[in-house]
Amino acid sequence: MLVARNIVKRFGPETAAPALSGISLAVEAGDFACIVGRSGSGKSTLLNVLSSLLKPDAGEVLYKGASVTAMREAELNRLRGTDFAMIFQLHYLLPYLTALENVLTPFMKGLSPVSRENRERGLACLERVGLADKGRRLPGELSGGEQQRVAIARALAAGPSILFADEPTGSLDKRTGQTIMDLLADLNDAGLTVVMVTHDPQFAGLASRRIELEDGRVLGCEAAVAG
Amino acid sequence: MNIATIPIRNLRRKPLRSLLMVLVFAIGIMSVVALNYLAGAVGASLEEKLTAFGANILVAPRKETLHVSYGGMALGDVSFEVKELEEAPTIAAIREIHHKDRLSAVAPKLVHVGKVGGQSVGVIGVDFTEEMRIKSYWALEGELPAGPGQVLAGSAAAAAFSLAPGAKFSLDGREYTVSGLLLPTGGDDDQVLFMDLHALQAATGNAGLVHFVEVAALCSGCPIEDIVTQINAGLPGVEVSALQQVVRQRMATVDFVKHLALTVSLVILLTACVMIGLSIFSAVSERKHEIGVLRAMGFPKASVYLVFSFEALAIGLAAAIVGYLGGFGLSGPMLGWLALTDGAALTFSPAHFAATIGAVLALAAAAAAWPALKAARTDPSTALITL
Repeated sequence: MLVARNIVKRFGPETAAPALSGISLAVEAGDFACIVGRSGSGKSTLLNVLSSLLKPDAGEVLYKGASVTAMREAELNRLRGTDFAMIFQLHYLLPYLTALENVLTPFMKGLSPVSRENRERGLACLERVGLADKGRRLPGELSGGEQQRVAIARALAAGPSILFADEPTGSLDKRTGQTIMDLLADLNDAGLTVVMVTHDPQFAGLASRRIELEDGRVLGCEAAVAG
Repeated sequence: MNIATIPIRNLRRKPLRSLLMVLVFAIGIMSVVALNYLAGAVGASLEEKLTAFGANILVAPRKETLHVSYGGMALGDVSFEVKELEEAPTIAAIREIHHKDRLSAVAPKLVHVGKVGGQSVGVIGVDFTEEMRIKSYWALEGELPAGPGQVLAGSAAAAAFSLAPGAKFSLDGREYTVSGLLLPTGGDDDQVLFMDLHALQAATGNAGLVHFVEVAALCSGCPIEDIVTQINAGLPGVEVSALQQVVRQRMATVDFVKHLALTVSLVILLTACVMIGLSIFSAVSERKHEIGVLRAMGFPKASVYLVFSFEALAIGLAAAIVGYLGGFGLSGPMLGWLALTDGAALTFSPAHFAATIGAVLALAAAAAAWPALKAARTDPSTALITL
């Protein structure tokens, strides 16, 4: 479903050590892939490259056989608006929109009003993350865990095929983090492909595929043993 | 809910900041509107007042030796060479032109060289009501002639013939009374005697005839040439000329007021635009993560541009309405404070209001263009990495 071939990414001058050096990997539909590694190992950079936010200096990313790296701006926008979705360590909700409005943001790209169908879809997403009754609250009126769940609902609103999650539990306490991980696991069980960056070995243990990075290289890529 | 929801809600999130932005921009617009209304009103009033200091159009028979105004010619040549105009049809034709409402005075004149004690003197027959409209600067000792047997003596003429108010004297064998003396004007009026036009026409056998007509036109917003053309069209065979020097001087004064207002307005507007631009620029820097998230959700660059443009447009719209109405409301009292209410009038113009809103929106969009473009061009990964 998602393939990376010889990805090289360098920040700064060409003499600088690359953040990613020749990374190749594949994520299958329905995978729960977890990118792990020490701080500075290139996990987030790899996630950004895989999610199309960052262009690699060399190599390419293929999604369903099409080169994401070669896509034009409009195609990338379409991909990010439909098949790909992202959540971050911090929720990054728009603080002046209610929870429901935040979830509906992906449908506010133009002057046409959000359709009834999309509104219902947004409400269903809020319900899916257990916040159906908090749609009218502003992010500031929600707890950290609730805010992250609204961010997940927002990511789900457009019905993506892959959810990229960059340390989604990084700013949460253990218990709330576990709730978020359970939610991601449920979504994965329902068929959503998840690619997640984490430094928490416990959460990484939930993944069906584990990609370990060190100094911008894949140290190991293994599928978890079921059970 | 659509893309406009994002900037509108953001403005609502920080009501005090938004209000301040609108207020500062509105004050700029208010100053511009008030200044323009004031400049217009004062310009019109000034012009009206300036018009009282002389005529700006001369209507005279064609191919005449009479020059601009009677003051510019040798009066001795005038009496026998000058062809006359028919008073009634000439005045009627002038009064009927398209821009007739712009005519503040139509002053016909008959010129005659009379004899007082064997000496020649210029005698001008005038319609004193019209004459006083273009010569409000005249200062008199005594009164204006009230009847056919009375004359008004210019200061030099009075000195030459020893005339004083109430004095009786003989002109061309007829007895006249000096009703008043014209205090020195420094012009040709000092050298002559003035009497009622119809009295002079009767005395000289020129009933119904005049030598030339001086016209004072208000020219704010209408070129003097248009009025000249219109008079010419109504009076074929008659020479109509604009006294460009007078017109230019008047228009220069009015233009100065308008240019001053325009310059100040431009400075104020430029400042307001820079302020809006800086505010949006600072918003772009502050909300970089939002831009990153929106781009990560597939928002095209144009949509990100719109988010920030709409914010500036919303501020501009509110400021334009408040600023215009405030500026118009302020102009009245300001006219009073500046003691300019005499002759100045303010009229609310819906077209001007609409044009101002359009112009302010265009300015706001232009001011926000660069920061909005910067936001649109922000690379999503850069925005998210800088989080």
